[in-house]
Amino acid sequence: MPDLSAALGMSTGIGTITIGDVLWFAGIVAVGVIIAKVVATNVKRALTERLPKNERELLAKVVYYIIILWAIAVALPYLNFDLSGLLVAGGIAGLVIGFASQSVVSNLVSGLFLMFEHPIKIGDNINVAGITGSVEDIRILSTIVKTYDGIYTRIPNEKVFTSNITNYVNNAARRFEYKIRIRYKDDADEAIRLAREVIATHPFALKNPAPMIYVDSLGDNGINLIARIWAPARNWWEVRTILLWKIIKRLEENGIIVPYPQRTVWLADEERTSGSGAGKSLEE
Amino acid sequence: MFGQYHGTFRYENGDILVENERIDGLLTYRRRCVGHAFERILVASKNARITINPVEPVNLPKDITDLLLIEFTPIVIEPGTMQTVYLKFPVEVGVFLESEKGIEVLDIFSAGTQKYTLYGPPAGGVIARWYRSVVYPEIPSVERFREGVMELSILNTSSEWAHVSCAVFNGVDMKIFYNGDIVATTATMKIISPAIAETGFIDAPLIPGMTRSVELYKARKIRVIGRGYLMEWGL
Repeated sequence: MPDLSAALGMSTGIGTITIGDVLWFAGIVAVGVIIAKVVATNVKRALTERLPKNERELLAKVVYYIIILWAIAVALPYLNFDLSGLLVAGGIAGLVIGFASQSVVSNLVSGLFLMFEHPIKIGDNINVAGITGSVEDIRILSTIVKTYDGIYTRIPNEKVFTSNITNYVNNAARRFEYKIRIRYKDDADEAIRLAREVIATHPFALKNPAPMIYVDSLGDNGINLIARIWAPARNWWEVRTILLWKIIKRLEENGIIVPYPQRTVWLADEERTSGSGAGKSLEE
Repeated sequence: MFGQYHGTFRYENGDILVENERIDGLLTYRRRCVGHAFERILVASKNARITINPVEPVNLPKDITDLLLIEFTPIVIEPGTMQTVYLKFPVEVGVFLESEKGIEVLDIFSAGTQKYTLYGPPAGGVIARWYRSVVYPEIPSVERFREGVMELSILNTSSEWAHVSCAVFNGVDMKIFYNGDIVATTATMKIISPAIAETGFIDAPLIPGMTRSVELYKARKIRVIGRGYLMEWGL
């Protein structure tokens, strides 16, 4: 044991650094590398489902090198390396870099929050910051949205995170509505029955919640019906684009017509001569 | 129609036509069913065969869910009791190309209509294929290209009376069997509380000697993680 102590206390010839100091330095760095590898592997594993591979690798590397730098910083005093000078220089450099990369860091942190909070997923139809489309990718710094016109749009994550996000497909089903106008002389009950029959034939017009069709108002030009239909959130658009025309065709086949906008004008002379115009109901 | 075919064949029954013909030297699969047609030219070895059998009824008009909800006449069941009833379920027909190198889904069709529903509330609920059935005490007669028979054993393990008017199943868990007369499956429903139940399928034919169907999720090489379905949004 005395031999080992003596050996560790031997000078390396560089200032007052002993072999023991070098071994301490090497040991701490080695432990740091092992911890970094374990943590980086677990970070990759934990983010398998949440991040694309390239970003997962990048994040794991960042974590890996931060831990190694930390281990080196802890070990350097054993080599009589004064960190205070480095800290001052590092502090100034950090301040400069911090100001320069403020928005990058903000986007990065927002990206991490987005990944963990999960308000949107790849493939979702969303509206964020006035942009509507489907999410193509959620990256560390930005979110890629393809608009319905097929336009590639990159939105910084900070903007996504701080904006109101509307996710159209977060819930399994969504509702849409049609306004259907029929003439006053048509039977509204029959129109409702026919519309209900047409809606029932579409597989994705959901059975439950059941569609609602009712007389909403008595308009200037006809009776206004409202049809409210639930459909799977990811398929509602195809249901919406198909059903309205089918309903209109079925109504017309049964003599129920959508009326044109119209005005009945009573001329003063005509009223004076006939005297029977006032109070006549609007039929068409 | 159900079974295995080598080379050319032709099956026609009412609205359904399925054939594999050699047209201009090319082997061509054709199907016509209630107005819808489908055609593919097949390039396959001589050992390849076509298998036609009933499949999990959650694929048409397109694959949007794995769940099947069967609504039936409400049943009130005493705590601790079990009742076996028979329901009808919709049948979809799967056509598979099989060879030593693997299996491929060629076509899926149905002579029936489809309807979907939401099981649960709009926020948190799930989309399911919807079908309505009468409750039968014995195996009912069915038109086997449109409907199958489900033997459902309902067990009330809760300490309260339970009202049951629907059962939701995970389609990928379904074990379908067929013979010359019917398509059938055997299912269970364990009521845990008046609002929660667990459903599942039993891998056994309803009638001895029935042939087991090739399942779609196996042909599509989909790994099935969960078994059964937990009905959390009411019975």
